[in-house]
Amino acid sequence: MRILIADDEVMSRKMLQKTLERAGYEVTAVENGRLAANQLCPADGPRLALLDWVMPELDGPGVCREVRKRKEQSYVYMILLTSREAKEDVVAGLESGADDYLTKPFDPEELKARLRTGLRILNLEDRLVEAREEMRFRATHDGLTTLWNRGVMMDLLGRELARSRREHVCTAILMCDVDHFKTVNDTYGHHAGDDVLKETAKRLLAAVRSYDFVGRYGGEEFLVVLNNCNPPYALARAEEIRKAIARTPVPSVNGPIPVSMSVGLLFSEDWGRLPLEELLQEAGAALYAAKAAGRNCVKVASPKTSSPDSGSPDYQSIRLRR
Amino acid sequence: MPNAIMDLTELLERVENDREIIRELLLIFKEEFPIHLRALRDAVDSMDGKKVATEAHTMKGMLANLAAGSAASAAARLEQLGRNQEVSEFQEACVSFENLGKELLLELDTCMAEVCG
Repeated sequence: MRILIADDEVMSRKMLQKTLERAGYEVTAVENGRLAANQLCPADGPRLALLDWVMPELDGPGVCREVRKRKEQSYVYMILLTSREAKEDVVAGLESGADDYLTKPFDPEELKARLRTGLRILNLEDRLVEAREEMRFRATHDGLTTLWNRGVMMDLLGRELARSRREHVCTAILMCDVDHFKTVNDTYGHHAGDDVLKETAKRLLAAVRSYDFVGRYGGEEFLVVLNNCNPPYALARAEEIRKAIARTPVPSVNGPIPVSMSVGLLFSEDWGRLPLEELLQEAGAALYAAKAAGRNCVKVASPKTSSPDSGSPDYQSIRLRR
Repeated sequence: MPNAIMDLTELLERVENDREIIRELLLIFKEEFPIHLRALRDAVDSMDGKKVATEAHTMKGMLANLAAGSAASAAARLEQLGRNQEVSEFQEACVSFENLGKELLLELDTCMAEVCG
């Protein structure tokens, strides 16, 4: 564990350094409060600190105040070293943000015990941060595939559509569905079905650019958002994605499983200011058209050729089956 | 060492019997302490309370680290006098502190021999 010692008095600094190195700490020693703050404020700075109260440039309580001003960074456990024992001094030190104080000259055993308390607090903080991050991940990702979940995808897509309208560029929405997935489950078992979904997710991610979005929409449906791309590029990319899924069977304990995917593709620039939900409905309808056309193909949703009276759009079909 | 200003037993305990670090501390002390002592004398002569307090504070820390309790207390008294600007007391307190300091510096050689031996 790294620890910072700040003391302007060279003998104190030496004694602290030796004691802590013997106890297994990795010690950085500085001689004033300004240097201490500079070491402690960066995100990768030491998380344990022993600060002399009276120092040039910036005193111990001043260092504590500067470090506590930082937000969203790991906690730094700070102990003030002082020869002051008056109650008001101790209160002022702790009010500045110090976690503890130790009277000089220090007893090595007491010093080490107090640092162990600090380590327990830091470990507790680490566990809490880890738990929070895990909860944040679970709240935003699909548990099986680890792709973005539906809620996050709606949010990301909403923002991307607003941006594309603002900047007059095109966003492509791909509503994708694994073909004959029920048959996969029935034939190979649900574990194999899960493997197919996981492998599909992996292939989808590998087939898009780093700034595109891929999420699980539900069941065996996936949503892909290609940001800022023109229709010919999006169409070619959709076809690449379809091919990437179907190219090789998914390995499973029950043998390789042939997999294909149908895709409904929609270009935002064709649909004016249609709300997000309606755009998704249109992309979904294009997906059903792809299913109806024999699966393993891409269909583009086109408002120009749809007949509003019929209840079902007449899609400009681009058959791209192999 | 009877009536010694520095308590070597206590110091050994405090550094977990690390004789090498005691040797280093004594060398630093021998070099640094006279510098601060001179600065204190200048501050006292010019009746600069703030400077008296600062120098006395530094030496108090050094002496406490060497387990020189009585000398550290004398430095603490000077620090307090400096903080309170009690200039009329400066000379007397400084002289008695200087005497303790001189005795301690003489004691260090014996101590060094004991530690290194």
